[in-house]
Amino acid sequence: MSATDDQADVERVLAGDIPAFEGIVRRWQGPLINLAYRFCRDRGRAEEMAQEAFLRAYRGLSQWRRDAVFSSWLFALATNLYRSELRRIPARAVSLDDIAEPADARASDGGLEDQDRDLAVRRAVGALPAKYREALILFYFHDMDVTTAAQSLGLPEGTVKARLFRGRELLRGKLPQLLAVPRLKEA
Amino acid sequence: MSRLIRHEEDEMNRILSREDEILPSSGFAVSVMDAVRREAAAPPPIPFPWKRAVPGLVAAGLAAVLVLAAGVVAIGQLGRTSTSAQFSTPVSLPSLMPSIFHGGMESAASWTVLALLVTFVSVKLSMRLASGRV
Repeated sequence: MSATDDQADVERVLAGDIPAFEGIVRRWQGPLINLAYRFCRDRGRAEEMAQEAFLRAYRGLSQWRRDAVFSSWLFALATNLYRSELRRIPARAVSLDDIAEPADARASDGGLEDQDRDLAVRRAVGALPAKYREALILFYFHDMDVTTAAQSLGLPEGTVKARLFRGRELLRGKLPQLLAVPRLKEA
Repeated sequence: MSRLIRHEEDEMNRILSREDEILPSSGFAVSVMDAVRREAAAPPPIPFPWKRAVPGLVAAGLAAVLVLAAGVVAIGQLGRTSTSAQFSTPVSLPSLMPSIFHGGMESAASWTVLALLVTFVSVKLSMRLASGRV
């Protein structure tokens, strides 16, 4: 994915060559759908939200300032849209208190299966208050890059760091056994 | 203790980083481009006709200010009269009303005709504005 490709396509679209927008869609459809999926955990809805994000990007293409990377602008736009969409119609989530800690993390087969453990952690993330959940989703989506996550959220880095810390604390409090017990497979 | 927290953090990072990727459905890009083409083909939104609306808005604003001023004056007069009424002969409320309300049937009829006329002119004017013939 090249920034110059993005810039060239944007220039063409702004000059009236609408089919050039397809280049942008093809390059960024995967990341935008996956980001939406992390927010809503529903494939169909993720595609709908990503489509709306592309449409908004098309409408607002002239507002992209060339001093920022196109992808940062696109992710910020999409993140903003996804957050407001989920405020409007929240994803089906369970309360943090309703997430059951597995009775014994060291089960008879030598530990929880990775899948179960991952699922429990992701469900717990989904049940976090929105501001912590969004910070965590963006942080991991951007390969643990606080700066990019902060740009996408339109927040100062310090705020994102504080939210990540608090979000992790909440998760740790909810899933102590799950996270603390080293997996026997690794031991 | 710090080793435990470090381990928990590593574990959390490992789990949350290892997110399954989903692939866009085959027709996704095509459907986005269809939506974009529809968007591009749609006529631009009609801008609000400020030039035509401004005289009406100004007139409405002036009317509102006049009504407000008249109300304030009437309330002031009422206050003064009721204060003096405590010390003198009682004053009947209708006498406080502006003279226009004291003209009997003829006056009422002429005000009604005027109101109907104003309504008729407003309706005609707004219809002409809406049809763009002004």
